[in-house]
Amino acid sequence: MNKKLLLRWGGWGITVLTVLGIGVTLLPYFWMVSSSLKTGAEVFELPIRWIPQEVQWANFPNALSRGSFGTYFFNSGFVAIVVTASNVLFCSLAGYGLAKFRFRFRELSFRLILSTLMLPMEIVLVPTFLVVQQLGLVNTYGGLIVPLAVDAFGIFLMRQFIRDIPDSLIEAARLDGCSEFGIFWRIILPNCKPALGALALLSFRDNWDQFLWPFIVAASDALKTFPLGLAQMEGIDSAAYHEIMALAVLGMIPMAILFLFFQRAFVRGIALSGLKE
Amino acid sequence: MPRTRGVVKAEAAVAGSSPRPRPWIAWPWGHSRRSRLYLAGFFFVLPALIHIAVFKFYPLLQAFQLSFYRYDLMSPPVFYGLANYQALWENPLFHQSFWVSVKYMFGVSIPEWFLALGLALLLNRAMPGRSFIRLAYFFPIAMSQIVVAMVWKFMYHPFGLVNTILEFFGVGRINWLSTEETALPALIAIGIWRGIPLFGVIYLAGLQAIPKDYHEAAMMDGAGAFQRFVHITIPLLLPTILFVMVISLLSAVKVFLNPLVMTGGGPSGTTRVLPYFIYETGFTYFRMGEAAAASTVLFVFVFALTLILLRLLRRGGVQ
Amino acid sequence: MQRNFTTHSLIALAAALLCTPAASQKTDITWWEHSNPPHNNYSKELVAEWNAKNPNSPVQYEFFAMTPYFNKLTAALSTRSAADMFTIIDTLMPSYTTKNTLAPIRPEWLGYKNLDDMKKNYLPRALEGYSYQGKLYAVPVIASVFSLYINRKHFQEAGLDPDKDYPRTWDDVGRVGRKLVKMEGNKMVREGFDFAMHSSTWTMWYFNSLIRQNGGEILDASGAKCTANSEAGVKAMKIRAMFVQDYKISDPTVSFATNALPADDLPKGRVSMFITHAGSVAQFGPEVMKDMKVVPYPQVNPQKPIVPIYGFALAVNPQIPEAKQRLVHDLIKHVAKDPKAWYEKVSYPYPASNFLTLPGIEEARKTRYLDVFLKDITNGRFVQRSPQIIEINDAIHRAMERVVLRGENPKSSLDQACKEINAAIAPR
Repeated sequence: MNKKLLLRWGGWGITVLTVLGIGVTLLPYFWMVSSSLKTGAEVFELPIRWIPQEVQWANFPNALSRGSFGTYFFNSGFVAIVVTASNVLFCSLAGYGLAKFRFRFRELSFRLILSTLMLPMEIVLVPTFLVVQQLGLVNTYGGLIVPLAVDAFGIFLMRQFIRDIPDSLIEAARLDGCSEFGIFWRIILPNCKPALGALALLSFRDNWDQFLWPFIVAASDALKTFPLGLAQMEGIDSAAYHEIMALAVLGMIPMAILFLFFQRAFVRGIALSGLKE
Repeated sequence: MPRTRGVVKAEAAVAGSSPRPRPWIAWPWGHSRRSRLYLAGFFFVLPALIHIAVFKFYPLLQAFQLSFYRYDLMSPPVFYGLANYQALWENPLFHQSFWVSVKYMFGVSIPEWFLALGLALLLNRAMPGRSFIRLAYFFPIAMSQIVVAMVWKFMYHPFGLVNTILEFFGVGRINWLSTEETALPALIAIGIWRGIPLFGVIYLAGLQAIPKDYHEAAMMDGAGAFQRFVHITIPLLLPTILFVMVISLLSAVKVFLNPLVMTGGGPSGTTRVLPYFIYETGFTYFRMGEAAAASTVLFVFVFALTLILLRLLRRGGVQ
Repeated sequence: MQRNFTTHSLIALAAALLCTPAASQKTDITWWEHSNPPHNNYSKELVAEWNAKNPNSPVQYEFFAMTPYFNKLTAALSTRSAADMFTIIDTLMPSYTTKNTLAPIRPEWLGYKNLDDMKKNYLPRALEGYSYQGKLYAVPVIASVFSLYINRKHFQEAGLDPDKDYPRTWDDVGRVGRKLVKMEGNKMVREGFDFAMHSSTWTMWYFNSLIRQNGGEILDASGAKCTANSEAGVKAMKIRAMFVQDYKISDPTVSFATNALPADDLPKGRVSMFITHAGSVAQFGPEVMKDMKVVPYPQVNPQKPIVPIYGFALAVNPQIPEAKQRLVHDLIKHVAKDPKAWYEKVSYPYPASNFLTLPGIEEARKTRYLDVFLKDITNGRFVQRSPQIIEINDAIHRAMERVVLRGENPKSSLDQACKEINAAIAPR
């Protein structure tokens, strides 16, 4: 092997670790993809056979026909996009407010916001459902979106990042006569792109993946999301696992696309060059 | 810059004098710069605060109130005083669940703190094939939770992948999910597998935000990689590290889908984490009041833990 | 300028979202069911038929993932947002009837003179499981039973005749199983016989029948005290554990976590005898069934057979007005009208009293063991009724795990279970 190449990879140790790590990470994927191309009986054959005897491409259209998966995919995507956009906007606004301003109940607000992270959804399920019902949002897109529109995790994340933006930058903008919102839009947001990227990615993932909340709120087929469709593929004690895996493979595509898209935001990086404290 | 109201006010503020109040602006808080900033900050946080108050805080308070009632979801709630808490105290399953949760929480979080950082450092270097390697490592994030549970259940099967590899190395088969000693560690491993890319993403964002100049200047001063790591990277990364520590604990404590789907809380309750106990008590046994009491206990515990963590780190110089 | 436009359109979008329901609000009857693909497909057919005949009161049919389905139903009932009609499993009947969340069924609206008249149309005791304080609360459409499936090929390989040598009692199971189990060194590569370990509901189906076969009950007559730790209970637990510990024909770690499907080991040939429900015949398929045979559920005393049965039924939401309840009864009549079609399409027996003599059923009687199932159903008893049935199931399941996995003494394990059960059923 090229010695220079090896050196750039930081030596054998790191190479081996990287390869092992990738292996561990990707093995479940390979199993998933290979199962999606097998017949139902082959999936659980032991010992595991990686390459199916006959590639069953038909699993994919068959699986999609078991339910209105077109609708489910659309719903998941739509809800995830809207909630992510809302999260990115409101969490960065709140994060900025908590990070760079001093107002009377600031610490209290932050602690309150933080505390909402600590409770699992299951126990507040029924009270939250009642609130949604009072707002008339049961079985609507609004019911799926609004309760999730702002997440304390995002606020915490943005606050941590925005804290690092030098105050001098903000002051300079103020002196230039920029409005507060203008400062937010033109100075803060561009300077926390990596954090925004991370937030968008994670928020999308969480919302694409939501099961329990849509399960309670959605009563009609037209409103179900992808995880609901996946879960109802299982019968009482039988399930077409090869088709479930095919759906799972399809379900990963939006995330993969999104990740590729946001990769560039990471790679570009932000250089606050020229500004030293 | 367009002469919006804000701009006009800014100019006036800079000029040091307050303009004559225009008739259509009622600004009772005064025109000083400080109060303007006070308000701006407050208004920025307001939408989030309202949302959280309505959809998170209010249900939370309701749940807390519910812990003092007997409620089976279908009949109206009946006041019960502290009886739910007493029932919990006397219930050995609750105690078991509590400790299972603690073990799971720290078992997943602590390795995540270090391994995710290692991953982020690894991927922050310029190396050939970096994009592909990044994609490969972050893939677990993209997998749906239900699918993760199904796939890993199969990996842990007595004839499944993990055992096949172990046999290859001559270790022999282990019944991972049906043996009391190995069930929880097996689930912890999955939690870590999933958490590393997640927190790696966050660490990476934090690393990217460190200006390259600092490193360059240090290198010019002759500092080695390790020194740079200790004196530049870590201190600048501390807020991110703190964030990851807190969030990893908080998300680990909420996990319950994997035990639900993979082990049913067993064998013998060794994987019944507290959220599972809560869900079961409330929705399967129809004892919502007791479930609310259990989640109040969980909440208080986590809250206290977070407070302690934040205080400790503040003492260590992190804000 | 651009910023204003973006803001305004976002607000407009938000407003539109909040006000638009995703589904049309014009449907008249809603019907919820758990997910089970062949069952759901037949239900959809029935709904399409109904909608064609009744365009003014269309049915909106929805099904949900099985496991959380009942949680969703409960949450919906508690917030008064449940469907007009919903499918329910018999074991959960008390949880709902004791809380008045099911409307009483009126036999008159279903075309019968009264309840007794209706009972004549069903297998004996079929409606008992769905009654409470003398009234009927759900109409059964599926009656399922547990029977013993044996692998013909394995029997023949071991020199046994599957038609004559199949086990009738639990001890027979043990003895026959010893001839069928296959070991490779210390590893059991083929079990002789096993119980499913994956769910506390299945554990209770087995255990309830075992304790009754020994003359006991889980709860005493008043339903207020646990009697699972009686002599009958200890004997029952010993039977449960003897295939692992005494006969050594079962591997106790084959369980929830090792099986994607509870009955998967049987068609894969990893176990020679297994107890599962009637629907498995269709689920395994004719290919697999060629090598299988179904025989009656094993007994302690073959003269006094007791078999576990369960079923699914249609229930009515009590929160809807009378007129609508009447309409729902018409729907139930429509859904329950053709027992033979139910069996053909869903593969579970239907609890009609004349089921075995329906035209067209002979074929199924010959090839799909319908006689065995119906006989077992007539000897069948529903699981103990209690609003806290799930907690009771879980307590017994834990007791079973302690005995089977850790070798604990059955009496002390059941004592512990009774303590937990008494705490669960204690009046609050």
